[in-house]
Amino acid sequence: MGPFADLMQGFAAAATPTNLMMCFAGVFLGQIIGVLPGIGPSAAIALLLPLTYGSSPTGAIIMFAGLYYGAQYGGTLTSVLINVPGESSSVMTAIDGYKMAQQGRGGVALGIAAIGSFIAGTFGTLGLMLLAPPLSSIALAFGPPEYCMLVLLGLTALAAVGGSVMKGLAAGVAGLLLGTVGVDPQVGVPRFYFDQTWLLDGVDFIVLTVALFGIGEVLASCTTAGADPILNVGRVLPNREEWSQSWKAILRGTGIGFIIGCLPAAGATIATFVSYIVEKKVAKDPSRFGKGAIEGVAGPESSNNAASAGAMVPMFALGIPGSNTTAVMLGALIMFGLRPGPEMFTTNSQLVWAVIASMYIGNVILLVLNLPMAGLFARLLQVRYSWIYPPILAICLAGVISHANNVEDAWLMLAFGVIGWLMKRYDWPAAPMILGLVLGPLFENTLRQSLTLSHGSGMIFLSRPIALVLLLIALLAVFAPPLIEMVKQRRLPASA
Amino acid sequence: MQNRVAIGELVLAAFFVALGLMWVGAAIRMPLWEGFAPQSGFMPLWYGILLVGLTVAVLINLFRQKDDAKAEDPIGKPLIVLATFAAGIAGLEPMGFSPAVFLMLLFMFAFIERLPIISSVLVSAATTAVLFLIFRTWLNVGLPVGPLGI
Repeated sequence: MGPFADLMQGFAAAATPTNLMMCFAGVFLGQIIGVLPGIGPSAAIALLLPLTYGSSPTGAIIMFAGLYYGAQYGGTLTSVLINVPGESSSVMTAIDGYKMAQQGRGGVALGIAAIGSFIAGTFGTLGLMLLAPPLSSIALAFGPPEYCMLVLLGLTALAAVGGSVMKGLAAGVAGLLLGTVGVDPQVGVPRFYFDQTWLLDGVDFIVLTVALFGIGEVLASCTTAGADPILNVGRVLPNREEWSQSWKAILRGTGIGFIIGCLPAAGATIATFVSYIVEKKVAKDPSRFGKGAIEGVAGPESSNNAASAGAMVPMFALGIPGSNTTAVMLGALIMFGLRPGPEMFTTNSQLVWAVIASMYIGNVILLVLNLPMAGLFARLLQVRYSWIYPPILAICLAGVISHANNVEDAWLMLAFGVIGWLMKRYDWPAAPMILGLVLGPLFENTLRQSLTLSHGSGMIFLSRPIALVLLLIALLAVFAPPLIEMVKQRRLPASA
Repeated sequence: MQNRVAIGELVLAAFFVALGLMWVGAAIRMPLWEGFAPQSGFMPLWYGILLVGLTVAVLINLFRQKDDAKAEDPIGKPLIVLATFAAGIAGLEPMGFSPAVFLMLLFMFAFIERLPIISSVLVSAATTAVLFLIFRTWLNVGLPVGPLGI
């Protein structure tokens, strides 16, 4: 049977009342989970796992998949409305989405995110259906040197697209440095934990994100809390100009998200960073980014949803998790007595195709839920900030404590909140710091593995074509902007 | 035009430099390289050196820039909000999550923002109740509990 005949069978299985209800429940719960900082989709699936004992594995996996991509959109709401990303994959959305909201375009920001997520989710699922086997083999070509260079590219390119390359790089390195707190992932030796056992788990992503974005933003904005609120939340549907600015970003984000999502361990977060960087690089006027550029929302939002579909490729085709969430889903498959791996498409084809079909259905549910709801959510902006920021602080506190049930994390959040405030006050970009923390362990692991493989020789990064290309792009990202600026400045006096 | 670097930015840069130096100091006491492979201290050492170097470069740039002195936002209110937030965190263990958060919210609404007291009490209570319901009741997350059991 071809993929389309399989898909039709999948639709027949996914469209039963029980499975439709599971799909709706997953998408809806995912949105709520995405809104709450501290509880990610992987934790939510782990919490829901015991509730699915005895139910059909197809229904349970459909719900978990819905929860996964539903959470990607849920994080968008808080990113756009209150500048607190609920998920690491929504960090980039906050940069321009929140600015759009401040300009009275919060409705459009949420609208384009919903439309982009729908398009990306649909194409991503199509990609999962058609390209799973060949893309899985490409993903396998990525060894430690390639991953290492991919992370380096993400860090340098993100630093380079900010206002000051130096400040961006410093923030990125600070994130990498914080990523070394805890236990050395290679040899299991504790380091930089300052005799505080609670630091052995490292600095959690959610603590740093909530601190830099949430607390930092509140401290920076509370001085004007008494000002009149934004009265105009605007339309939800983009106008012709906004659509013409966004559609290419959505398609690029879809492609980037899907491909990066297919890479085991890369996931939606890197996809959003890469998508944002690409959008800024291809923009005719890159200075609009960070000030409310709609492409800065459309690209990353599309890429995180496409990455959720992409992450299913290695999960279904190879039995390798593409992200933390698919790792938990793999555990769920095993719990149901299934063996994830290449034989999944033959031995459990009905389940695989039902999940794929349910993802089309789930994306329609997301769109139907979110287009009308976007305007409603955006009305939150009409409330005076004096009423909003104290509950934001309370949500941040609950989210951080709930993550590890640890009050020390709340103190750490407070300390980094002050740093986030100062960074915002003096235009130091916070996103590279978060990316550094998230990718630090992967970067260190892959660098050390690469050097071990090459007996300590850095030539391994130059002798492997994919790694070399990624390294060259990373170097270009850092050195091209100042060089271009120098050439421009030399030409100016000459032409004057 | 004048050459002026904000004290706050110097504090931020000093924090990054101190962080970098702390990492360098601790990393050099760890194994750096063994056989073919880098060990636990290798990457932190380089991160520390890079952070110090980059931050110093930013500082040099800032001192070299000739810029108009910008009017800065006042810092009094953010510091009061920060102190209230710190007090809320400090109250979590002795009082429990819900009372500490309720009082923190009430202080922010009624005293910092000078909003109507009845509305402040109602919104503080509603926010605390919603957080309790979501995190404690539905998600079964263990939040700090005080003498009142909440």
